[in-house]
Amino acid sequence: MAKKKPFGKLNGREAMVVGIIILMIILFSLLSPTFRTYSTFVSVLDMAYYIALMAIGVTFPLITGGVDLSIGTGLICYSLFGGYLIVHKDMPVVVALLACMVLSIIIGTLNGFLIAFMELPPFLATLCTCMITRGLGSLLSGGFGVSWPSALEEAGWFRKIFRFTSANGRVIPIGIVVVVVLVLLMNFILNHTKVGRYTIAIGSNKEATRLSGVNVKFYHVFAYVISGFFAGLAAIAYSATYVTIYPGSGAGFELDAIGGAIVGGVSASGGVGTIVGAFLGVIVITLMKVGLPFIGLQANWQQIFTGLVLIGAVLIDVVKKKK
Amino acid sequence: MKKRILAIVLSTVMALSMVACGSADKAATTEPAATEEAPAAEAAAEEAPAAEAAGEAYHFEVIVKSFQSTYWQAAVQGIEQACAELGVTANSNGPANESDIADQVQMIDNAIEQKPDGIGLAACDTNSVLDSLAKALEAGIPVVCFDTGVADAPEGSVYATVATDNTAAGACAAENMFPVIEEVVKAATADAPVRIGEVNQDATALNIQQRGLGFINKMIELCTAAGKSVAVVGNEFYVNACDNAGDEATAEVIIEVGVPAQTTVDLAATEANKIMSKDDTIAIFGSNQTTAEGVITANATLNKLSTDPATGIVAAGFDAGTPQKAAINAGQLIGSVTQSPLIMGYKCIYKLVDICDVKEVSDIPMYGYWYNAENMDAADIAPNLYD
Amino acid sequence: MGEVILTMKGIDKSFPGVHALDHVDLEVRKGEVLALMGENGAGKSTLMKVLTGIYKKDSGTITYEGKEVEFKNTREAQDAGVVIVHQELNMLGHLTVAQNLFIGREFKKGITIDDKKMNEEAKKLFEKLNVDIDPTEKMSNLTVGKQQMCEIAKAVSFDAKVIIFDEPSAALTEAEIEEMFKIIRDLKKKDIAMVYISHRMDEIKVITDRVTVMRDGTYVGTLITKDCTKEDIINMMVGRVIYEDPKTHSAVPADAPVVLKVENLNAGKMVQNVSFELHKGEILGFSGLMGAGRTETARALFGADPKESGDIYINGEKVTINSPEDAVKYGIGYLSEDRKRYGIVVQKTVAENTTMACLYNFMKGIFIDKKKEEKVAQDYVDALATKTPGVDQLVVNLSGGNQQKVVIAKWLARNCDILIFDEPTRGIDVGAKNEIYKLMNKLAAEGKSIIMISSEMTEILRMSDRIVIMCEGKKTGEIDIAEATQENIMNLATREIN
Repeated sequence: MAKKKPFGKLNGREAMVVGIIILMIILFSLLSPTFRTYSTFVSVLDMAYYIALMAIGVTFPLITGGVDLSIGTGLICYSLFGGYLIVHKDMPVVVALLACMVLSIIIGTLNGFLIAFMELPPFLATLCTCMITRGLGSLLSGGFGVSWPSALEEAGWFRKIFRFTSANGRVIPIGIVVVVVLVLLMNFILNHTKVGRYTIAIGSNKEATRLSGVNVKFYHVFAYVISGFFAGLAAIAYSATYVTIYPGSGAGFELDAIGGAIVGGVSASGGVGTIVGAFLGVIVITLMKVGLPFIGLQANWQQIFTGLVLIGAVLIDVVKKKK
Repeated sequence: MKKRILAIVLSTVMALSMVACGSADKAATTEPAATEEAPAAEAAAEEAPAAEAAGEAYHFEVIVKSFQSTYWQAAVQGIEQACAELGVTANSNGPANESDIADQVQMIDNAIEQKPDGIGLAACDTNSVLDSLAKALEAGIPVVCFDTGVADAPEGSVYATVATDNTAAGACAAENMFPVIEEVVKAATADAPVRIGEVNQDATALNIQQRGLGFINKMIELCTAAGKSVAVVGNEFYVNACDNAGDEATAEVIIEVGVPAQTTVDLAATEANKIMSKDDTIAIFGSNQTTAEGVITANATLNKLSTDPATGIVAAGFDAGTPQKAAINAGQLIGSVTQSPLIMGYKCIYKLVDICDVKEVSDIPMYGYWYNAENMDAADIAPNLYD
Repeated sequence: MGEVILTMKGIDKSFPGVHALDHVDLEVRKGEVLALMGENGAGKSTLMKVLTGIYKKDSGTITYEGKEVEFKNTREAQDAGVVIVHQELNMLGHLTVAQNLFIGREFKKGITIDDKKMNEEAKKLFEKLNVDIDPTEKMSNLTVGKQQMCEIAKAVSFDAKVIIFDEPSAALTEAEIEEMFKIIRDLKKKDIAMVYISHRMDEIKVITDRVTVMRDGTYVGTLITKDCTKEDIINMMVGRVIYEDPKTHSAVPADAPVVLKVENLNAGKMVQNVSFELHKGEILGFSGLMGAGRTETARALFGADPKESGDIYINGEKVTINSPEDAVKYGIGYLSEDRKRYGIVVQKTVAENTTMACLYNFMKGIFIDKKKEEKVAQDYVDALATKTPGVDQLVVNLSGGNQQKVVIAKWLARNCDILIFDEPTRGIDVGAKNEIYKLMNKLAAEGKSIIMISSEMTEILRMSDRIVIMCEGKKTGEIDIAEATQENIMNLATREIN
């Protein structure tokens, strides 16, 4: 019954996640003085961008009752391809950015085609494209890591989309504005357009939606195209934030995004979820990734804690359903 | 022409061994070996490669740790260069990721099946390859390890090792960093200690362990010599494995070691950020390409790095790559330690040919070379600084 | 009649907000079949769940074989000899018949499962019941009827003394039901007590000895089956007389135009050369037994399933329908027999379900005009008297009848002139049924044309203007309502055509 909320207001789950975020910030700040700094805030956001963008996209397949496992390796693949064009083919950055997006849409469409038309289970189809993009990334970059132009160079202008350094040396994380605008836009699309309406309908009852005369296949494919598209945007955010992109990496990124979406109340079995929720969930995941090292927790414990939080989030849903 | 190349190679090797910070006597022993081979190679390339290979076109299988970083690109370049010079062929292969240990073992086994004249190996995991080395020994295929030595290799399987002495390479970074921060270190007290950070990609790979500990132990040694008490905190492995972890409460210099949960650039950056955020941090060292770039990424937010400890944090990196080179030029890193993957790959092939030609072979220890804004464009350093 | 084996007395059970069972009594005797009847929600299933330990009763006593018992779970009930044969089959399709029968209590040989012994035991069991099923067959290869037999066999294999049948005939064909009845009569002879839950009056008359009726969670009374009439039972169930006489003549004028013409429709085995016409304002009944191909015909016509051949004319014009999208474009709406699966989008609201088929009418640019959507949905809620707290209610929270109204609203909002109602009142209680009937008559009077597929003879006779009868994928006849009788319809529905 989340539907009755006026646009912009949070539903119960989202409010709860906001509460968790506030609690985490308080906890980390108490335990680590260095956590309370502006720069940490910026670095949390830095890491949140690419995960959040992936989460926005993957929420659509999740809501249809599917999943997209190819976004993590896809991200690296697109980023490698774009970087390769700049570094080795001397192409302008704009071309590389466009190449990222085009490739991401192609992979997204391929996923959608395999799932909606060839009727492969989403898990399998995207697992295959996950492997394909992993290999393709190495192939497109000649097997080597590539570094996109740094912020020091003229060609590094695209980094300023996410992180703007003002004249007095102050770093302004304007990427958050970009991401929040996209979150609100996609939230609106999910709730107020045909694409969104049918995405939820497919996840809730695909056959009933088809029998209502809806071109289910088209909208099913579209959900994966959106997922791919946002993986492409995430690739740009990743390239803009970090220095060198390594082939073979990226597997596991999708789990941060999917985990975030689920923490934010997107149902793993489809039909339920909001983009705002997914975004807030990603903030929780990112806070853990950045915050836990700050409070001195060592590597292995960080992963265990993240796993426990995910279990907690899923349990809330299970318990709720039982009631 | 021939003389000119010979002169360059000679001077390169000599210059490198001078910059290298291993103990002086070790360097001296390496020098003749290197000077002996490199010119011969150049000569062969110029004149008649076929003659050098005695009419036999050897074929080698080379397995590197991965194709992930440009580091390995340089190694493969060295391999290809040596092959061209000697008129032999080598097939380079490697897993997608340095952590794909099982994949690499499979590749080695496949390589043995191919019955090459020799195998060049940069092992991802020094224990996992032992069985494969035994198989190679059984099949009579000689193995030369490069980049990473395999200490427990079955007797007789590994003919020679061309590897960086990682402990010395890590110490090299400490030795070059210390003079810059010496004054600040000396001014430290137990009430107002200073912090030196180190970010290591992991606590499991031998070369990273050695490099990390090399830096820590050398830094402890230098600080202690300056009359300061030192404590090591952070990742359990490094705290337990260093020479003296000290006591954080009374220490004047604190060395903090960060290890990311996964070897991704974003988590490496977070670890760097964590240490650099602290007010008492005066220096930081990233012990491989990923973590050095993590330091650079963190600085994009913090904007704290400086070549002068009075105005900011002094940082040093490891390995090369465009971002580090740019950061050194921009005054963000005071310098970095590079290995010579190109020469390691190159020498690996030479060793293999020597083995096939039944010549005496011995290990070649390689050193880390310190480079900074002044010398990075120098003819002797530049070739090792891959992009 | 045998002695009493099971007595439930004063059983009381409340759920938050619902008093599901209010001091209900039940008595079952050895060797009898007791019908348990009542509208949906009367509390029959709850009572049986209390008996077999799925729910814990709040108060009351259960006496079984002279001792007071309280089973903690179905397993305990099974071991004591009280077994339920469920409406939904709990069979694992990938396992063999024998493996299904003995699941959870497999015969072992050392640490391995003794499949040979299981097959032998299963065979013996089937022989005892006079059914012909190969124990090594994969369960998914059996017909629904045979699977039902396996369920019964499984119950018997527990050495059951009381077997509860929860709507066992829902998915069975006439012949299969007959076969099941044979088994039930056999079991009666073996002194096994049975509780038979069903909505089908005809079956109740044939197979049961006594009828216990429940209403709104209370015990109403028990009748001797052979001494009572259908009307007696229905009166007890609903507390009011609802039986309506059949339609006697068609309400459609003779010159009403043909809005839909289907010629030689073929789609697999279940739809062979089906042709018919539908007139404006007509309710065309589709009668036949389960598996006659009526639903398949409707789905093929609607484009939900692929068809092999056949021509479809809408208002005299030939059209191509390859998907539901096409069908909806031509103004055909389909109300599935299985609403939960095919009709409604459960996690969406009443308003969203109402506009599902005609969202394009509610677009403002690329955005959905939610205000307009809610207003239109509200209009339909009012017009159809749908009981819902509001149009923002999730349909999953509505009762079956009201869900059906939402589906009707969906097609009316799309302005469909041809509506296919597939079992429009299945799973809907008697009171709500009447409302659906009234609504259908009203729609027909307004000029909508309706195809009504129904397995209930009374429904067919009461609603149709004309009746198409199908049998095994073929159309076997067409009767005007004026000439239709139960007998001639059944005759056509079972007739073999070569």
